[in-house]
Amino acid sequence: MNEFVIALGWTGMFGALALGAIGSIVGCAIAGQAAIGAMVDTESGQGRYLGVSVMPSTGVIYGIVIMFTLQRDVTATSAPGIFGIGLLAGIALLYAGILQGRACASAIQAMKVKPEIFGLSLAPAAIVEGFTVFVFVFALVLAGNIPA
Amino acid sequence: MGPQDRYLTLLASLPAHGPLFGAKQTPLSRLRLNMRLKWLEPDDAADLATLAVLTDWHHQRFDVDDEAVVREAERGIAGIHNAFTRDLVTWRLELRTVLAALRGRRAGAGPPSGRRRWGFGRWAPHIARHWSEPHFRLERVYPWLPEAKRLLDDGDPLGLERLLLGTVWTHLERIGAEHYFDFEALVVYVVRWDLVARWTRYDADAALTRFDALLETALASIDLDSAA
Repeated sequence: MNEFVIALGWTGMFGALALGAIGSIVGCAIAGQAAIGAMVDTESGQGRYLGVSVMPSTGVIYGIVIMFTLQRDVTATSAPGIFGIGLLAGIALLYAGILQGRACASAIQAMKVKPEIFGLSLAPAAIVEGFTVFVFVFALVLAGNIPA
Repeated sequence: MGPQDRYLTLLASLPAHGPLFGAKQTPLSRLRLNMRLKWLEPDDAADLATLAVLTDWHHQRFDVDDEAVVREAERGIAGIHNAFTRDLVTWRLELRTVLAALRGRRAGAGPPSGRRRWGFGRWAPHIARHWSEPHFRLERVYPWLPEAKRLLDDGDPLGLERLLLGTVWTHLERIGAEHYFDFEALVVYVVRWDLVARWTRYDADAALTRFDALLETALASIDLDSAA
């Protein structure tokens, strides 16, 4: 039983990074495809499309920081806390990355038609980023309360 | 990535449509659109080709009877893989059936009789049953029908064309609302492109020149002196 609980602890510790990375990979791929399409259709402003398409990459950075914050001796006492925080933070980062990618793809479509709404079109993706920051900050706060 | 993002690059590479009746030209040429559509997967390309064959006027055959046209349409629709495209083609052919009935009745045709298949879709028997009703009792299903009948009775073909194109445009807007980067969104884009192409092609001067040419051809074979 102890071994299983310890395995869960390690899963949680690396889960935050792995799931955050998957979210960023899918999100950047979605936004990147939209950026490539927009480049085919336009003569200028291609740099902006590429810049927007890398927005979902923040998930993996948050995942790395959460993983290092959770890093400690994995014992039967600490493993459940590490598992809960790591896994749930990872799932949140995963969804945020994918959906932020979609928001960025739509923003790229919109700014291609109306370049003047560049800033406004990024608001949905920025709001998703805001929720991700909540998850990140409170994962760090709670990580400090995990019993040794 | 899921099927909802299948044609992300392709759709992002297509310039946006403006409002239908304000357009002066299509957002990109047919040649360029066809080049972009080469990125489609074979099944989707086949569905789009079938949609064009069944709905584009220049693909329609006028040398065969109604029954053969209906059978051909049913066969074509059965071969479409994508349910959204199938529903869209069905909707458009049903709309044309209602309009054909309206035009036929105005030209003096009687109600379609017996087992002869004269129109496409679920409303054909209903229309035959309610032939004498002004709108075939379909005004709730097709709210534009009373207006279409009025324009037809007033002899306003341009107004009628405008109404019908607007109806199809609005329908596309409604059914495409949930689709952004998938095949369904692409179908909506291509059908809208066709509508814009049709509307922007209408040219009064060109129509007059063509009418004069047809008239001259027809009159050339008649000896006006002997006819008098």
